[in-house]
Amino acid sequence: MCGLCGLLGTVHWTETSAHPQAFTGATRRTIRAERLHRSELVNRALAAARLKLTDFQATSYIVRSPTGRQEIVGDLQSVWGAVDRLRGKPIDPLDDAWIDEIEKSAP
Amino acid sequence: MIPVNVVTGFLGSGKTTLLREILRSAEFSDTAVIVNEFGEVGLDHVLLEEVEEGVLLLESGCICCTIRSDLKETIRNLHDKAARGDMPKFSRVVIETTGLADPAPIVSTIAADPIIRNHYRVANVICTVDAQNGRHTIESQPEAKKQISIADRLLVTKADLVDDECIAELKGTLHRLNPLAPIGTSCGTGFDADFLFGEDIGDEKRREAEVRRWLESAQALERSEHSHGHHHEHDLHDDHATNSFVLRYAHPIDWTAFGIWLTALLHAHGENILRVKGILNVAESSTPVILHGVQHVVHPPLHLERWPDEDRTSRIVFITRGISEKKIRRSLDAFLGMAERMRRESAVA
Repeated sequence: MCGLCGLLGTVHWTETSAHPQAFTGATRRTIRAERLHRSELVNRALAAARLKLTDFQATSYIVRSPTGRQEIVGDLQSVWGAVDRLRGKPIDPLDDAWIDEIEKSAP
Repeated sequence: MIPVNVVTGFLGSGKTTLLREILRSAEFSDTAVIVNEFGEVGLDHVLLEEVEEGVLLLESGCICCTIRSDLKETIRNLHDKAARGDMPKFSRVVIETTGLADPAPIVSTIAADPIIRNHYRVANVICTVDAQNGRHTIESQPEAKKQISIADRLLVTKADLVDDECIAELKGTLHRLNPLAPIGTSCGTGFDADFLFGEDIGDEKRREAEVRRWLESAQALERSEHSHGHHHEHDLHDDHATNSFVLRYAHPIDWTAFGIWLTALLHAHGENILRVKGILNVAESSTPVILHGVQHVVHPPLHLERWPDEDRTSRIVFITRGISEKKIRRSLDAFLGMAERMRRESAVA
């Protein structure tokens, strides 16, 4: 549990809070800050697809489509399956068109 | 955490001989062995039964697809029995796959089950390759190629049956398929158990030495890329061509962005990302972070007390099937660049 925000977090290889022995020093983010940072990055990457990710109580993520459809998932790995379903086609980080969008992504 | 080794290798490549020899030593006397019956005759079982008490025989079929839940239950049962005192406590589990099995789902079964992963960790995957038939098997059997590509240790068996030139050629082929895995040889006896099972990234005491070994392999791979002009990529018109390369990042990378990128990559292409191994200099840690994965499975990141050399760059080695370095590099650069832009924007604000 994070002593600062009182959140339990989840166990996934991407979560630094779940592996405190591997991430040492003072630069590790709190659970809340890390999940907020993660959501901001994913949202920037998904801006062109008009999908939005939000953290839910540090236990799940909610992926929302522009039409109001939404899915709740347990960890970052599962986010991409929800993204596929909500946009109706698979997302691919090796797709040049998506990389072009990410390279010019603005705040 | 109890280490779980997977011993894989094509039919007749000497998996059972290896196990039979290893299990005779006192060091492996408290090892639980899970074998897999395949076909009508459980030959492997007959051989192993005499050696090790507590051998469990999986009921039917192939470990890779039909009985993954059996494997999960088998490991859980072993654990329960040892905890209840119904069988002796064990300090290691070895799973012997069938010759045709894909070892990756075995790794994912262990890594995915919440109870198993709290008590067990995936240790070295060891792949045996027959010195006489190895090259032919690799050329004709995609399963064999994959077993070799995802292994942590390769063992050329029956080395006494062929000449040195043949061994050298086979080793060259193995090295091209998996430049990260050290290659041992054997003649049916005197196996180096420490090399195969003991030197393991999950063991904190052996971690630094193992990381050094990875970095040496990565350096050799980079040198070969320079001298041969990325020769591995010539086969990329072939969707099944195995391709190995190293990505380097000089500045500390944003772990969150890296995690977003790798989960997205594995979601879309996990089948073809055979191995990822790396030492990362991340903004979120003052010590290096060790990362390794097999296809869709990424193991929990590991701590390393200090950098093994003067170089502080992140080095990530990929073994892929039909995916080029150029594509991977451009994609990861884009995600890390996005995080860097965001960091600068918030610093300005």
